[in-house]
Amino acid sequence: MNKSWWKITSILILVYVFIAGMLGPLKPGIIRVDPQTVSTGQELVLQVEGYNSHYLEAGDAIRAWLKLDDERALGATSVQSKSETQLEAVFAIPQYLPVDKRSQDFVLVVDNAVDGVSLLPSAVFVRQDSIDPDMGLKVWKNTPIEGLHYLKRLTFPFRNILQETIRNTYFHVALWLAMVTLFMASLYHSIKYLRKGLPDNDRWAVAYTTVGSFYGVLGLVTGAIWATSAWGKPWSWDVKQTMTLIALFIYLAYFVLRAAFEDPEKRGRLSAVYNIFAFAALIPLIYVIPRLTDSLHPGNGGNPAFGSQDLDNTMRMVFYPAVIGWTLLGVWIATVSFRVERLHQRMLEGD
Amino acid sequence: MNALGEILHLLRKELLLEWRTRYAIGGILLYVLSTVFIVYAAFIRVEPATWNTLYWVILLFAAVNAVTKSFIRENSARQLYYYQMAHPLHVLAAKIIYNVGLLALISLLTWGAMAWLTGNPVKDYRQFILALWLGSAGFAITFTFISAIAAKADNSATLMAILSFPLVIPIVMTLTKLSANALRLMNDSNTDQDILVLVAIDMVSLGMAILLFPFLWRD
Repeated sequence: MNKSWWKITSILILVYVFIAGMLGPLKPGIIRVDPQTVSTGQELVLQVEGYNSHYLEAGDAIRAWLKLDDERALGATSVQSKSETQLEAVFAIPQYLPVDKRSQDFVLVVDNAVDGVSLLPSAVFVRQDSIDPDMGLKVWKNTPIEGLHYLKRLTFPFRNILQETIRNTYFHVALWLAMVTLFMASLYHSIKYLRKGLPDNDRWAVAYTTVGSFYGVLGLVTGAIWATSAWGKPWSWDVKQTMTLIALFIYLAYFVLRAAFEDPEKRGRLSAVYNIFAFAALIPLIYVIPRLTDSLHPGNGGNPAFGSQDLDNTMRMVFYPAVIGWTLLGVWIATVSFRVERLHQRMLEGD
Repeated sequence: MNALGEILHLLRKELLLEWRTRYAIGGILLYVLSTVFIVYAAFIRVEPATWNTLYWVILLFAAVNAVTKSFIRENSARQLYYYQMAHPLHVLAAKIIYNVGLLALISLLTWGAMAWLTGNPVKDYRQFILALWLGSAGFAITFTFISAIAAKADNSATLMAILSFPLVIPIVMTLTKLSANALRLMNDSNTDQDILVLVAIDMVSLGMAILLFPFLWRD
């Protein structure tokens, strides 16, 4: 067996990640509706703008609901498709709502056989001037949501804010996980260097730290691109962004520390000590502090966790290979960096 | 000699050394006073939010100045002599204990100076003093350990700042949050969590310092 099979594997995996991750279609969804607010007792003519949808192809079989909660929903009295992505749905909003709130939001549910079911949370806000939940219960004409088409297709989930940028999961999140793995490999070699004192362990630690820091920068850059689209600006001093920046400062300090010593043994020992101390003192915090404070990232500060909803089975088919691919590529780069450093050392000793 | 006796003996040595070379502690105090005076001259009236930030920034720089000398003050030959006479870990323990005390004192003095010149916005004294203690302990442990690394290089003072500041940012972030709560700038119901984080950071740093120091003192 060829010794470099894993290098070829990493390239093949990443080619797959780029092709599948970039070309895989998004599930049909709803981008926006107009109007977004309506008063009770009116007839609501809702213009729905779909994404990747096939409203003409689906024809008359399109159904739409305004969903209040799990039991109650208003069905559309008529649904008309104007183009593949334009839909006109008419709802009769009752005189009273069965809630004691002045303004109530409804989820729009659109279902057809071609696209399957798609949702838009808080699509329409209904205002009511006189609040009477009992009257609301009386006049409520419930249309249960039934017979939805859950299609099994290889599509990535449609998220309202993320839309196409959900593909960045395969780069931003995967690079981040690969970075942590590389830093752990560097930690392993630092510990080994302190125990055995072999110069090779020191070189491995440096090589892994170099590639890990590089991945950290890439993670920040891909994150900034994503944040520009999802949060409106590239840098928001989000706690995870800050922590990553601190981690990069620490590894920068690691290289400064190495530059301060001439003697290779002393340099190796002291930088190994610093590496272990920094990793132990900081990396757990990157996982702990964001969970305690508010963060814009998913899974922190009350935001929905990443994984249960956002990472569906189709995404997993790309995401897990992406993590493996980026890690293997990082190890490969580290190997090259290690060998260059060793050759450099041999050249100096040979002369 | 037992461990406790050895540590106490080393502590006495640190105190004696501080007393004989009074310029070091005097320099720190002068630094704190002149910085606070500059703050006063520039602001006259300091808003509580600014007070909180300035307090921790002044303290951070005072702490790094105060602790840097712990392994740099004495030359390496004399350090080696200590390691021969006493267990190296006891030397580290004595320095850390001494520095925690020193920083707690400096933080109280800084607070006093700020309160005297710019007013005292602290509302919850118990919480603020707890933050001071946890902060002093965190700074003392991290800075003492890093100064042991930096002492091995030629330009240790620069290296000290570069190596230690990124490491204490999480401590400073949690401290400012905790003390903002003591100043009633924000109303955070789960300060217990922040205290727990600070204690955890202090314990992890202490554990790693003890674990790694044996690889550090030998040359």
